[in-house]
Amino acid sequence: MFARWRFERALRSLRQSDHSVLRDYANAAWPQRDCRATEASYLALDFELDGLRKDAHLLQAGWVPFVGTTISLEEAHSVDIRSSAELDDTAVTIHGIGEQRAANGQRLRDVVPELIAMLAGRVMVAHGEAIERYALQRATRALYGVDVPIWGICTLVLEKHLKPRLVGSQAYRLGPSRHRYGLPEYRAHDALTDAIAAAELFQAQLSRLPADATLGQLERR
Amino acid sequence: MTVEIAEIAGFLERTPPFEALSDAERAALSRTIEVRYARSGSAIVTAGDQNDRLFIVRSGAVELRLAGNDLTARLATGSTFAYPSLLRGGEVHNTTVAIEDTLLYAVPADRFHALRDSCPRFRKFFAEGEAARIAHALKDRQQAAGFQLDREMAGKLIRRSMPVSCPSETTIADAVQLMHARDVSTLAIYDEGALTGIFTDKDLRNRVVAAGLPLEGKIGDVMTPSPLTLSTDSSAAEAMALMTSGGFRHIPLLDEAGALSGILSATDILAAVGNNAIDLGVMIARARTPKELIEVARRIPESFTVMVDSGVHAAQAMRFTSALGEAVHRKAAQLAEAELGEPPNRYALVVFGSLAREEQLVGSDQDNGLVLADETEEKDGSYFEKLGTRISDLLDDCGYVYCRGGIMAKNADQRQTLAGWCDRYAQWISRPDEDRILRATIFFDMRHIHGDASLSRRLHERTVALVKDSPLFVSYLARDALRSKVPLGIFRNLVLETADDGQRVFDAKRQAIMPIIDIARTHALAAGLDEVGTVARLRALAQAGKMNRDDAQSLEDAMLLVNEMRIAHQARQVERGEAADNLIAPDTLSPLERDYLKDAFSLIRSALEALRRNFAGGIA
Repeated sequence: MFARWRFERALRSLRQSDHSVLRDYANAAWPQRDCRATEASYLALDFELDGLRKDAHLLQAGWVPFVGTTISLEEAHSVDIRSSAELDDTAVTIHGIGEQRAANGQRLRDVVPELIAMLAGRVMVAHGEAIERYALQRATRALYGVDVPIWGICTLVLEKHLKPRLVGSQAYRLGPSRHRYGLPEYRAHDALTDAIAAAELFQAQLSRLPADATLGQLERR
Repeated sequence: MTVEIAEIAGFLERTPPFEALSDAERAALSRTIEVRYARSGSAIVTAGDQNDRLFIVRSGAVELRLAGNDLTARLATGSTFAYPSLLRGGEVHNTTVAIEDTLLYAVPADRFHALRDSCPRFRKFFAEGEAARIAHALKDRQQAAGFQLDREMAGKLIRRSMPVSCPSETTIADAVQLMHARDVSTLAIYDEGALTGIFTDKDLRNRVVAAGLPLEGKIGDVMTPSPLTLSTDSSAAEAMALMTSGGFRHIPLLDEAGALSGILSATDILAAVGNNAIDLGVMIARARTPKELIEVARRIPESFTVMVDSGVHAAQAMRFTSALGEAVHRKAAQLAEAELGEPPNRYALVVFGSLAREEQLVGSDQDNGLVLADETEEKDGSYFEKLGTRISDLLDDCGYVYCRGGIMAKNADQRQTLAGWCDRYAQWISRPDEDRILRATIFFDMRHIHGDASLSRRLHERTVALVKDSPLFVSYLARDALRSKVPLGIFRNLVLETADDGQRVFDAKRQAIMPIIDIARTHALAAGLDEVGTVARLRALAQAGKMNRDDAQSLEDAMLLVNEMRIAHQARQVERGEAADNLIAPDTLSPLERDYLKDAFSLIRSALEALRRNFAGGIA
């Protein structure tokens, strides 16, 4: 209910920021709450982290911006992030991103502004949106001393709303959720692939919602 | 440089025609793709709209509602659609609807055109109609296979080029000396510039030494007179089929001028292909008892598998299997005669259906009958009844099981005098009705196997003449052909049948081959052509200007293509010890094969449509 209000209040305070990237973010043309979900601008985002700890490091980011019901891949982007952290063995095996590659990646302080600029005026779409939100806000806190406000739609939460009666948490994971909509199986744990996968799942979910569903109706479900 | 979208580039790499692109092209293409989701039941493109995208089905299935009629085509994962509108500048003719939840990749028109310019195979894939795509598929397959029986000229297989010959007046002793001196196993007997016979090592053994004939006798008395010949530019396949059905191992080859150019032996062909069909044919011809015949005949399926495994093409495998079938039928009649004594009158054993068309595969039942000379008397009936019964029983034991429709010499209906047969055909032709046609079409594919060939020939000639002047009958034939259920596209529930084990399958014979056979038969009979084989009919139609040459070629290709799939399927079944059938599960085919199959269906549909327009229009 108050999500949008909190979001706009946070944006207002960013307009005075010393960092131009944050000011631009705050002044972007944000869609209205009554904007149709099938017409809004989105950014599907996925991070690969080196573990599930609160202080886990970002290893890779993948994103793809899209408008309404068409996902154009022209601006799809994938980036390895340089991390000086001791890489957690188990997580690294999952993502296939070795220390070497992580060390060769871009610096977080270069990636974040790029991502923030891309997210400006767009609604973030992710499966388990809280993880991306938390990791990105932790990064902006470290870099700019402020939690950047994020307007996000979580496909996992949306799925629970659309299919409330499924048993077990496995059923709501990205792969099984996609399967229910006839979406193909993708190789998991590549940030960009997962971002595209989430974007496609969102499209499928949109097709199940009333054609006139608005962004306001989708947030914080 | 472009960073690829891994999942998409990976998908394109296994999807025709994108597999033909370079890695760099696919990487670049993956970037330009738009992903769209279409919920089941929603329209993707609508007739009359402008379209600027090529669509690829990534998952799910769509249905094309073809403009102007009720036909639909169903496309599944890996299929492309909406490109015809790009090729003609935008306007969509076929509304396309998602029939399942579907994920689509859309390629912008400018990228599509750029790829057509840069990649010839990509261009070919989309530029061609279905017909040309099938032709390419066949060419690719044939190039992939090794020895090409149908291309190789018989003349080139002869390892010894100069035939050794002598006149028929020569004594056996001199002839054998000549063979010895020139180190040949076969001698051509030549009189006044014409080949009159051949004489082989084996003839020396069997007809001279074993028979105790004096060597002073004339070679002309012990040679095989007037042997069947082929021209040097006949295909190896033709030579092989002739040997297989005739049960002999040598064929004199004549050059353009009709002069003997050499003698092709089975060994020459075996050296080139390593195939046992001829051996089997020879064993059939040599069988002296029913038991021996049954034993050899039961090995035909195995020989079929060997042929397919050694890369023999569909057309050839059918031809050899038919040739062996013909040999078994002939031998069955000979053995039956030997048991029952000389026939009291002239008669002919004829076969109908696939064996008549020389398109038989393993597992076919028997379709045959006896044509008796008109002067056959009432009292001879019991002889021919016994003969027909014996032939049918023997064939059943040989693996050509009883015909469920009763079309076999065992039944009185199938043993008639020439006049009786002519009446029967005249009934079908002059007073057609749907039910009759259904049972009668098979009779219009007929071939002589044994006995007095003039009886079969006269029946065939009269039948062809009768049909030619009966447009009403032809229209019934056409209507009958139109009843076949050609799948409308790719394999989604609606077009498939359910096999015994509950699996979804497609009936290659009923849903693709039979319609082509029907199409060729209807056109051929309407044009008064007397060819019987489907390919022969199509070629004759093109030759006579009765069918567009490309259309005829395309139908021939489509039949070959489906037969190749069907034969590969049956060879696998025989190998596993299962009974051969025609029910192919789509998921055993590669995406490319499915694509070609779709093209074949589409082609057959339009040929049926043409049939309807040309022949059934008045009454259908």
